[in-house]
Amino acid sequence: MGSILIHAAEQGFAYGIAALGVFITFRILRFPDLTVDGSFVTGAAIASSLLTSMGVDPFLTLAAAFGAGCIAGMVTGFLHTRLGITDLLAGVLSMIMLYSINLRIMGKPSISLLRVATLSDVVERALSPLGAVAILAVLAGMTLLIKFVLDAFFRTEFGLALRATGDNEAMIVAQGVNTKSMKVFGLALSNGLVALSGALVAQYSGFADVGMGVGTIVTGLAAVIVGGSLIRSRRIGWMTASVLVGSLVYRVAVMFALRYGYLIGFQASDLKLVTSLIVIVALVIPTVRERLMRKVGSC
Amino acid sequence: MKRGIAGVLVGLLIAAVAVAGLGAPIRIGICKIVEHPALDANERGIIDALTAAGYIEGKDVEYILASAQGDPNNAIPIAQDFQAKGVTLVVAISTPMALAAAEVFEGTGVPVVFSAVTDPVAAGLVLDDDDPSQNGNVTGVSDLIDVAGDLALLKELSSSIRRIGIVYNPGEANSARLTAIAEAAAPGLGLSIVKAIADTSANVPAAAQSLVGRVDAFYVTTDNTVVSAIDAVIAAAEEGNVPFLMADPTSLRFGPVLATGFDYYKQGLLAGDIVLQILTGKKPNQIPVVYQTGAEIHLNLDAAAHIGLEFPASLIDRATGIFFGGASWLRSGD
Repeated sequence: MGSILIHAAEQGFAYGIAALGVFITFRILRFPDLTVDGSFVTGAAIASSLLTSMGVDPFLTLAAAFGAGCIAGMVTGFLHTRLGITDLLAGVLSMIMLYSINLRIMGKPSISLLRVATLSDVVERALSPLGAVAILAVLAGMTLLIKFVLDAFFRTEFGLALRATGDNEAMIVAQGVNTKSMKVFGLALSNGLVALSGALVAQYSGFADVGMGVGTIVTGLAAVIVGGSLIRSRRIGWMTASVLVGSLVYRVAVMFALRYGYLIGFQASDLKLVTSLIVIVALVIPTVRERLMRKVGSC
Repeated sequence: MKRGIAGVLVGLLIAAVAVAGLGAPIRIGICKIVEHPALDANERGIIDALTAAGYIEGKDVEYILASAQGDPNNAIPIAQDFQAKGVTLVVAISTPMALAAAEVFEGTGVPVVFSAVTDPVAAGLVLDDDDPSQNGNVTGVSDLIDVAGDLALLKELSSSIRRIGIVYNPGEANSARLTAIAEAAAPGLGLSIVKAIADTSANVPAAAQSLVGRVDAFYVTTDNTVVSAIDAVIAAAEEGNVPFLMADPTSLRFGPVLATGFDYYKQGLLAGDIVLQILTGKKPNQIPVVYQTGAEIHLNLDAAAHIGLEFPASLIDRATGIFFGGASWLRSGD
């Protein structure tokens, strides 16, 4: 049981970085960006190609993945702000283009990292006294570091302007801010984080697969929404924290569905149904509790 | 050698104890990437092989079945769940599941037996398919089809066939590899390959249509994306009035003129046989990768008549099964 929760937490943090990226576009910029289904794989592809063909340091591959993701986001931003393509379609176009580009980067649809030194291997060796929680410690540390850097960034003047771009574009234009550049920057930052997450997930999983990005937007949104309903706050620090909580809840739900689904008569083919049901329960609990409290209060 | 015999004897003893039900049932985790007729048959074959060898489900052996439901991100959690449930052995059906199982069980000593993996060496699952000594805890069955043999069959069908159209998804490891093999083999047979890409099953019709008039025959390998939209390829082949060979014998009744390939149930039996070898004391690094042989040839006479094609007698003689008058006929004694 313990080890399974540790694994779920590892995945919650690793995918949590992608969820933070989705949070930036959906909640901050209010831009429904579908690029992420492609840029997640781009990060995984860059990292695994650099690891297998050039033996690049695992930590450096994360930076390369982040950079590649930023470029992908900028392309979407360019399509939208300069060519006037609607937000949804700009993201879809980037996502489709990235499918081919990702295959080019990888050279084949699936790359195994079994026989190369990945981040997990380096961490396990360097932090061997920590044993089973070494990888969790590093993933949690990295994700929380990113969270706090983002929080600090969103409190700067530039960060506030970015938030205002999504909240009240007319107002911020009147302030003399170029919202087009703001959107491009936000999309770049978001996709950079998503690609970084993809690079982490690939090294954690021991392989990169061109199909692994499908649903990044769905799980990312699930994390944002689940987290947002569990922790209701307008403070940026709490909002980013809620995204990570949402991501953890989602990954624990997948683990529980796998581990205990059979106890209530579910079979292998019901995995996605059970996962979603667990997320629904997590979503409903706060509402039910609130209603009960109100009832008790009115009595 | 003496040691080897002793090892086998000890293994047999352990197996005998297990079969006798003195120990707790062995836990075997079987996972697949997606629900798919071929992969489901594979899973059944594995279980049937063990049952036939005397491992009774619920008494001697307990199966934990899992499916990633088409999402590679579920592969790692499934393998970790198997680990938490303390499985003795993992059977991983398809490349992504095998990669995930190999990663999670690396260095644990728990054997990982893969099945329905086309190229285990290129996928990085094993170092050497012939010499297993350095392959660690991983071995299994490859479903690498005889692509050159399939192309030769098309040539045998009619000497006028020169351009072969392949619809495939470059995102599927197995399919990309087979298409590359076809491209490498074609010139030697005096053939050329024309490729059309479909990244999702929704894009298969357009890809197939793009080949009409540009090819003398259609060929589809074990590509899950294309197989799920196979009607579109059949329609395109009929429109172009050209034969269509499909490397999946179970698809014959849907309308390709020719179907070749392996029975995935039999492949499951082969994987089950490897599992049995391990349960009776062999180590995975003593078992080379098994390549399934004996591809079957199935002919669809109805579809052939539709495009005015007659099969040469040499092909009919070798066919395992035919589809005629709306029904399947299997060669007796097969």
